[in-house]
Amino acid sequence: MSLISDEHKVYWNKINYAFPILNDTIVSDCTDLEYIEVQQIITGLGIQNKIRDLIVTHIEKYVRQQVAPQFWAKFSKVEEEIKGFQLFKSAVNDLYDAVNKFSGMLRRLIILNNSCSDNKTIFGERDVISGFILIIRATLLSQLPVDFNIIIFHFYKLSFNVFDNEYESPDMSEDVMCSGCWNDYSECICSYVVKVFYETNRKLMEMQLLERLTGQVLTNFIQVRVESHIQRVCTGTFDVSHIAHLENWLETTVMTWLTRIYCGGSSKPPPDNKNIQNAIYKFKQKLHYFLYHTYTKLRIDQLFNIIIEYPDSQPAIDDLKQCIDKTDLRPTLCRVLQSALETRLLHPGVNTPDILTAYVATIRSIRHLDPSGVILDTVTKPVRSYLRNREDTVRSVVSSLTEEGSGSELAEELAKFAAEVDDDGEKEEAWDEWVPDPVDADPKVNASNRKTSDIISMLVNVYGSKELFVNEYRTLLADRLLAQGVINTEKEIRHLELLKLRFGESQLHNCEVMLKDISDSKRINALIHQDQTFQELNNKFTANAMIMSAQFWPPFKDESLELPEEIKQHFDAYTKSYEALKGNRTLNWKPHLGNVNIEIEIGEKKLELTVSPFNATVIMHFQSKPEWSLDELHQVMKVPITVLRRKITYWQSQGIISEKGTDLYVLVEGSDAKSNVSTNQVQEMICEDDESESVMASAHDQREGELQVFWSYIVGMLTNLDCLPLDRIHQMLKMFAALAPGTECSVQELRQFLDTKVRTHQLVFQGGMYKLPKT
Amino acid sequence: MAQNINPHYASSSNPAKQNEDTIKLKDNHAVSKRLQKELMELMRCADKGISAFPESDNLFKWIGTINGPEDTVYAGHKYKLSLEFPNSYPYAPPVVKFLTPCFHPNVDTCGLICLDILKDKWTALYDVRTVLLSIQSLLAEPNTQSPLNQQASFLWSNQPAYKKYLDEFYSKHKDL
Repeated sequence: MSLISDEHKVYWNKINYAFPILNDTIVSDCTDLEYIEVQQIITGLGIQNKIRDLIVTHIEKYVRQQVAPQFWAKFSKVEEEIKGFQLFKSAVNDLYDAVNKFSGMLRRLIILNNSCSDNKTIFGERDVISGFILIIRATLLSQLPVDFNIIIFHFYKLSFNVFDNEYESPDMSEDVMCSGCWNDYSECICSYVVKVFYETNRKLMEMQLLERLTGQVLTNFIQVRVESHIQRVCTGTFDVSHIAHLENWLETTVMTWLTRIYCGGSSKPPPDNKNIQNAIYKFKQKLHYFLYHTYTKLRIDQLFNIIIEYPDSQPAIDDLKQCIDKTDLRPTLCRVLQSALETRLLHPGVNTPDILTAYVATIRSIRHLDPSGVILDTVTKPVRSYLRNREDTVRSVVSSLTEEGSGSELAEELAKFAAEVDDDGEKEEAWDEWVPDPVDADPKVNASNRKTSDIISMLVNVYGSKELFVNEYRTLLADRLLAQGVINTEKEIRHLELLKLRFGESQLHNCEVMLKDISDSKRINALIHQDQTFQELNNKFTANAMIMSAQFWPPFKDESLELPEEIKQHFDAYTKSYEALKGNRTLNWKPHLGNVNIEIEIGEKKLELTVSPFNATVIMHFQSKPEWSLDELHQVMKVPITVLRRKITYWQSQGIISEKGTDLYVLVEGSDAKSNVSTNQVQEMICEDDESESVMASAHDQREGELQVFWSYIVGMLTNLDCLPLDRIHQMLKMFAALAPGTECSVQELRQFLDTKVRTHQLVFQGGMYKLPKT
Repeated sequence: MAQNINPHYASSSNPAKQNEDTIKLKDNHAVSKRLQKELMELMRCADKGISAFPESDNLFKWIGTINGPEDTVYAGHKYKLSLEFPNSYPYAPPVVKFLTPCFHPNVDTCGLICLDILKDKWTALYDVRTVLLSIQSLLAEPNTQSPLNQQASFLWSNQPAYKKYLDEFYSKHKDL
């Protein structure tokens, strides 16, 4: 019995000698020849399966208790890159050595395993070597410390710097520092770094640890690099396309480096190793996507500036267009741009023309970016609703539409439209280029509408009606026609023709009549001046009338002004003469409009001025009497005193009238030095005669007039139904009074209207109800 | 007399009353259109002292207001009336009643009015405006021959006493 056990002991020792791992050591002098004997013993005893399993268990234990902790012990938190670099290098080297020490034993294990007949796998791997590597990998990763990334990151950062430097900056050689490793050139460790780097990577690759251990770090690292590279290259310049350049950079610098990591130094992947090729290909895909993503994000953040600089920034838009298809950033783009527009444009501090310019630029650039118009629709929604609330929007649009010169894009746009009217035929033929709407498109809106609407109609659509625009144009035109002494009708006619193409003849019929009135007036003036009887009556001065067809001109602001008797007689004579000329028609003078050329002589002072009829009237009154109080002037001129006081400052600034006492004005005689001083003071205080004011009732006032139509209804309702809340009034109006199109009004508008009535005591607002005041 | 009757209605009304429903459907639109037009006219003219407006969404039920005519005992008083239009309007007269209690020879205590043009003298040429004007002038010139309110009719001849009674009447009815 003891003999057998002795024999077994010898066998066990021999097996231990061949596989020292069973005693938790690795090194053994066992040669292949010696092992053959051991192998025979094992097979003789028929315990090859048991022994093999035992060995595997022990290897696992050894790796778990020795190799892995040793390896990870090196992964300490260090600050300096070079230290991290060294640590990682030595950790990998030690690991590699430790793994290599297993090689003898593994060889023997292969033989042993081959003699096993059970076909059992080592953790799913048939091959002993790959099973072993699997064990190493699994054990290592199972003990992963928290901040293992730090030194790996150091390692790759340093090596990338060296590498990037090799490719990028040969012209930096004057620098004393090597920009690769940040050492003096004399102590440059670049070549050392490169060598170690390749060596380490090769080892990791061999142990199949590269991907697992460094993949995450590597990806992060490269992403950071890509990001900073893009930031560096692309900030602030919109007039160059960067995408090709960036792709090239990714391909040459980053991908070559990556390939070298994976292939242990060579710049080309081995053609036979599918695994490496695959890994590199996958990495490349990931990186390309990341590149586009980062670049797009950057551009989206700058989009507002890009838009403002459009069309100079067209390359940037082109880039963005290309990238947006490759990434999923479309919604982000909409969101970011919308909020950028809101914060940068849509607040009271921005002038309406500036908003319009930005709006037009947005339309142009975004349309270039996304021809379907869906993004544009979404993005400009807040702009449109904001513009709708601005009172001077229409005016700004119309004036820029008709502006002269190169500054006005809209005027060009209008002219362009005229040229483009008739090329609709091609659309049908392009059926094979049809693309479906993007998913975020509003299905209710017709796609072709979105595409075809051009800038001007986008602007007009802000309000949703052409009428408002046409009305505003009419007002502006009327202002211009009345303000100019000599009228350049030709220019206006050209504009009108262009606008007609856009808005249609019928809309602009009024304006046509207005222009015709101008030329007619000239003719009639000439005819009347030839009239002998008229001539005899009025030889003191001449008057030219502008005869406007009341039906077609926009309503004027009503201002009362009583003209001097002389002038009135003259006008009456003119009217008679006109009536004689044109049967069944008469003139209704607007005394506050127009211009008066006057010549003033006071002592030695002589002045020639063109002033408003108002000012002329004032000075004429002073002709007959040198001293007037405001009250007296009010009596003769029938103008409110406040207005009088304001307007008389014009003559004060001219040094012709001075204020003697409170509300008492006198004519300044001759060249009075003292008055000149005060003149200057006055002049400083008062800007010139505010003739720039529009004489037309503004769109707002016109609207008020339209609402006036409802007033009788409101009175009717409130007389009979006592008191009503706002909603009911609105509802009733909608039901009983909404007859003509264009006279609809919103609840808010009605509220404003009613509130003005409350302010003028025509209504009483009590407990949420409106009612008529008791009489 | 003939003009008081909708020709369409007259020719087919003999068999039974049930036809009214179909007529109602057919003519409803025309009637509302006419009423709408009358309303517009009324709003446009804005006569002094009379006014009317649909009570709610229903165009067939209006509230009217009449100011007591100047230089009469009724001056300074304000009367609310209800006007209900039948579906056969304007071929049939509207039913007009005083909502404000009215002490008047031709108005009974329920507010019913005895006025020929609202009964047999009605023609399609009358409209809301003329009805209201007629009632306004009825206030000034009552028909004491066929009174609904005997007391008022009796008192009418003595204008100062009438006026005194009227003012008392209204201060009494103020709360109503």
